[in-house]
Amino acid sequence: MSGLRGRLIVTVVFAAALGATAAAWAGVQQSTASLFEAHRRYHTEDLAGRITQAAPSAQYPPGRGSLDRLRIAAGEHSLVRYGDAASGDGVFASGAQVVPAELRQAMNAQADSEDPRVLTQRVRIDGRPWLLIGAPVMITAPDGTQAPSGIEVYAARDLTDVEEQVDGLVRGAATTTLAVLPLAVLLALLASQGVLRPVARLRETAQRLAQGDLAARTEPAGVDELARLTRTVNDMAASLQDSMESMARMEEDSRRFAADVSHELRTPLTTLTATVEVLHDILPRANSTRSADEEEARESAQLAVIETRRLVELVEDILDIARIDAGTAQPRWEETDLFEVISTCVRTRGWSDDVVITGPAAGPGGPTVMADRRRIDVTMANLIGNALTHGGAPVRVVITATSEGASVQVIDSGPGMPDDVLPHVFSRFYKADAARARTPGSGLGLAIARENALLHGGEITAANHPGGGAVFTLRLPRAPEPATGEVHQEQGE
Amino acid sequence: MNHRTLTAALVGGVLALAAGCGSQPSGIEAGPSAPTGVAPGMTLYFLDHDGNLTAQQRETGRLGTVSETVSVLLTGPGDSDVRTGIDPTPVTRTEVTVSGERMSVRVPVASTEVTAGGVDQIVCTALAGHIQAGGSTETRAGIRFTDTALEPRTCPVLG
Repeated sequence: MSGLRGRLIVTVVFAAALGATAAAWAGVQQSTASLFEAHRRYHTEDLAGRITQAAPSAQYPPGRGSLDRLRIAAGEHSLVRYGDAASGDGVFASGAQVVPAELRQAMNAQADSEDPRVLTQRVRIDGRPWLLIGAPVMITAPDGTQAPSGIEVYAARDLTDVEEQVDGLVRGAATTTLAVLPLAVLLALLASQGVLRPVARLRETAQRLAQGDLAARTEPAGVDELARLTRTVNDMAASLQDSMESMARMEEDSRRFAADVSHELRTPLTTLTATVEVLHDILPRANSTRSADEEEARESAQLAVIETRRLVELVEDILDIARIDAGTAQPRWEETDLFEVISTCVRTRGWSDDVVITGPAAGPGGPTVMADRRRIDVTMANLIGNALTHGGAPVRVVITATSEGASVQVIDSGPGMPDDVLPHVFSRFYKADAARARTPGSGLGLAIARENALLHGGEITAANHPGGGAVFTLRLPRAPEPATGEVHQEQGE
Repeated sequence: MNHRTLTAALVGGVLALAAGCGSQPSGIEAGPSAPTGVAPGMTLYFLDHDGNLTAQQRETGRLGTVSETVSVLLTGPGDSDVRTGIDPTPVTRTEVTVSGERMSVRVPVASTEVTAGGVDQIVCTALAGHIQAGGSTETRAGIRFTDTALEPRTCPVLG
């Protein structure tokens, strides 16, 4: 038995047992003492009365007959002594051997004292309990002064009955004590219920908090320490909820800001793109003989066109990732043949010379998954584009069917990635090489690829191929988790 | 506190309970006053030549009852050197009853047959016998003669 409940039960039971035992012990002691005292008083007074009754008719100094008469008056198991003469029966049949020396000495002292008394001692003779009574017989003068007569009377009274009564008392006390224990267990269980129920509720609340239910609270009951603890936990949960909500709000605000900014930029950028392209187209046509100034202006226009396109791309990427972040991305799920989608992706972007696609042939039996074609296309374009830009041609794309769905590996022929870069390749705007900061691409390509993979319920990992070159692996399930789809739809509304 | 400690404590408690009880040999304890009542003879009260009470030991070999003692008193001093204040009577049967500290002695003589000294003789003899047999020294004795009764009184030479 361990834990709070066990400790509580053990303590209560122990205290109850201790209390019951102590009370029973005290009671039994008291009763036993009273019982023995009552017996002692009765038997001593009885013996003194019997002897006093019989003494006036006894000869003094006593002869054999008088000793016998006194012994008979004293009852069974008694002994009357005068000098060397003695008359005894029962346990005294063989004389005064059974009388302890201690009692005999006390008797001698008693006979010479001013106020002689009847003496008693409890002894065991042959295993039986006896009450030994010793009484010196006195001679009283008419004026009341007393002198020892030399006659001693001993009587033994059997205490077996008294002992049986005492044993009965002990048994009763022990039974009562044992009967208390189940009650104590019951009480302890009840008490532990009272203590542990709030604890269990508190634990449940803490678990719910840990699982993200920040609204979880426990109703505090009472004013004890547990109630105070409950209130403290509630306060903690409340402040946690507050900070989480404000953080979520801030994050939401910044995302919306990014989306809004991108959205606002798109329209002027589109206009700008058109304008710059028109300018670029016009320049050579205006004058066929190019001056140095014109050549310079044309290069500038060329640069403006490229940079404006990049800017548009960047804004589109930011908008896309903001949509995914906000959960407003609504994938169009359809049966997708990965081989076909990837082939098309490579062909339309003019990478066919640098990219080798291997995998099961297109058509029935090829790896198909439930996916959003556009997003798969974007993802693969980002992965392959990244491999061509940062790794090197040729790039191999390996499509395999797996038990869960499909996996696509993009392997480049570059030198691979340093180990310290690997964990960050999917971070937004992460640039592996600070010196080559001005590379084509928004810096969001791999981040968008990863978000798309997650949107499909899949994952994307980066590693180095043992034979050299970086390997990006996209794993897609056969169909997205129903829950995932639902959640996105809900958030979309 | 583990289980073993608890069990040990419980068992110890029960054992202590069991061992504390039962009749163990005890020390010596004092009870009521020692019995009394043996004596080599009776104490009788007679009058000397000046009329004063005087005790006489009659060697009967035992104390005897108060009734017996008074009966012996009524038989007179015999040939000893004392007088009696009670007229001789052929009947010496007496009856003594004790109730608490009141004693009543019925004698087969009339009050006219007993002098004041004789009344003291009867009272003192009865009370002496009562005290010697373990009775209270505070007891008072009344005499019921054949014709009248005397209020309980004490013996002038006792107590």
